[in-house]
Amino acid sequence: MKNIILFTIDTLRKDALGCYGSLEDTPFIDSIQDKCIRFTNLQAIGPYTQASFPGILTSSYYLEYGKQKMLSMKRTLISEVLNKAGITTAAFHSNPYLSGYFGWNRGWDIFYDSMEEDVTDEVPYVKGDVINQNVDNWLSTYIKDKEYNRYFLWAHYMDVHEPYVPEKKYVDMIDPSITLSQAEMFALFKDPLLKRDVSDKGKVELLKKLYRAHVREVDGYVEEFFEILKKHDLLQNTVVIMTADHGDEFGEHGGLSHDGKMYSELINVPFLIYDYTRDKGEKCDTLMSNIDIPPTIVHLFGLDPVDNFRGISALPYAGYPEKGCFGEAIGKKSAHEKETDKPVYYYQEKNLKIIYSEAGDKWELYDLGSDPEELDNIIDTSLEAKGMKEKLQGAIAGIK
Amino acid sequence: MIDKMREEELKEKIKKSKEIFEQAFDRFKPEDTRLIWSGGKDSSLTTWICKDFCKENNIKIPKAFTIDEGDAFEEIDEILHRLSKEWNIELDWGRNDDVLKAAGHKLNADVNVKDLNERNRAEIKRIGFDLERFPFEAESYVGNHLMKTVVFNSYIEENNVKAVFQGLRWDEQPARKNDPYFEDVPAGELQPAHTRVRPILHFTERDIWDTTLHFNIPYCPLYKQGYRSLGAKTTSIKTTDIPAWEQDLENTEERAGRRQDKEKTMERLRKLGYM
Repeated sequence: MKNIILFTIDTLRKDALGCYGSLEDTPFIDSIQDKCIRFTNLQAIGPYTQASFPGILTSSYYLEYGKQKMLSMKRTLISEVLNKAGITTAAFHSNPYLSGYFGWNRGWDIFYDSMEEDVTDEVPYVKGDVINQNVDNWLSTYIKDKEYNRYFLWAHYMDVHEPYVPEKKYVDMIDPSITLSQAEMFALFKDPLLKRDVSDKGKVELLKKLYRAHVREVDGYVEEFFEILKKHDLLQNTVVIMTADHGDEFGEHGGLSHDGKMYSELINVPFLIYDYTRDKGEKCDTLMSNIDIPPTIVHLFGLDPVDNFRGISALPYAGYPEKGCFGEAIGKKSAHEKETDKPVYYYQEKNLKIIYSEAGDKWELYDLGSDPEELDNIIDTSLEAKGMKEKLQGAIAGIK
Repeated sequence: MIDKMREEELKEKIKKSKEIFEQAFDRFKPEDTRLIWSGGKDSSLTTWICKDFCKENNIKIPKAFTIDEGDAFEEIDEILHRLSKEWNIELDWGRNDDVLKAAGHKLNADVNVKDLNERNRAEIKRIGFDLERFPFEAESYVGNHLMKTVVFNSYIEENNVKAVFQGLRWDEQPARKNDPYFEDVPAGELQPAHTRVRPILHFTERDIWDTTLHFNIPYCPLYKQGYRSLGAKTTSIKTTDIPAWEQDLENTEERAGRRQDKEKTMERLRKLGYM
């Protein structure tokens, strides 16, 4: 039986990875595709950390226990399930929304959230190399004993998240003609990014390049992480699940960063399952949700399904049923959620996606097959509109 | 109940703390020092040991200082009043009246920066904020700075305090594990030079409870209701109804839900652009 590593990268767009798109910013991740199942149609249940991570770690939807800042005690964390089953659990990350303060430290034998570390305004988290160092230190002591217990390790990188202030060497890998100082990059974070101002196309393009530089940086940390596994002789007995909590917007739907919207650049995330013993890469196009990740982990550990988990195992993917997926968030229009902001929901089935924003009672329907960029709202013309509305309303009612 | 061996172990730890007090009083006159006393279990034990040490050595017991952040548990206020009287310790209360007044003494009220005095305005600038108003709430970074740090700095300046005794412990959180018993803090902008003395650094959370219960040291009743760690009222959370000392102290977080964690977490969120 193998150990499992859940590797999540904050704010990583699917199309930022070479293996999913046309960019070449992730040479390492692309190079391990022969050992991966590459899922092309995994939808996050929400477009920002608080709205998405309940899916990844608790297989539950964001608003189903009410709008709470703290993780509800009614949710079951994957760490609690595994810990109870005698599996050692360890977490290493730097996202304040997933910190011990908000209650995400339940069920972990080791929980490092970095909140005690000093950070700067330009890099307000510990970088991937620090996460790696912590993982390496832990593994070094943990597996010293040949008879060690099976483990589940979750590592999360923040490096792609704004502010986009990458080091020069990474900027050079994307576009050496960019000569901005760190202060100038940071100024772009304050304006236009925090102002969500997309009027200057040149600045939006520049932000996207700086974002890509961080992706390039992260690819290096992922490589370093795999080197650590290799060093400890763990590659062949570990399955690595890789995903992102959400993507990032660069003006596709009139905004920047990741606010309360349900379009693909924010919710269609990368999902890879790496297994060293695999002899060739595979691709799965089945529509799935990130609430399926905890059940997948439970399945890989050979444990019984968990009642409190809403998803189903993504593996074996050939047996995965054809079904719709759902998500919900608060339709905030800036980084700061206001009390008056109202929920936004989506439901996708095959290529059809319906979005309902309570603010303004607004419905949108997109055919992702013919309109992958979600620019042509067919809610008033599609014959499927009525049926899709009912399905979304049914999904909302189903979790209340 | 603890056995003889454990009792000896605790007595050794108390002895070690008294040595720290001894060194401190070699360096500072008692009247130039203050016990920082929040009413929580750690600072109460520190105060209790100090009281014992002073009595044994015929030293005048220092004054104590507590900060009212405007959001305190009644139970904490009550135990501070009761114990300071019982132990015959003079207790000074510090609060930022200027901010409290600007907030109308109401939590979550908006405070207009222009309504504040010069000192408070300068402090807001100093910690890097350029804002017109902020909410007076427990989780607000600015509010917390004004209600705690500023009150502390003004107090030690006005009273010419040279050293303060803090009830911090090494096992409280990883960031504390290298804290020294004596730390000389140099003068900074708006902060006078002073020395921080931490006599109970070597006590674990388990030691605190074993000592408190074994020697019948009074404690705030909230701990019996399940609180592990007490901060401001609206930001302290209890995760169980089991008395603190009966909880799995070694394997669970002491400070889950405490203000300090909140402060740090909120500061991170702010830097990521979320606040």
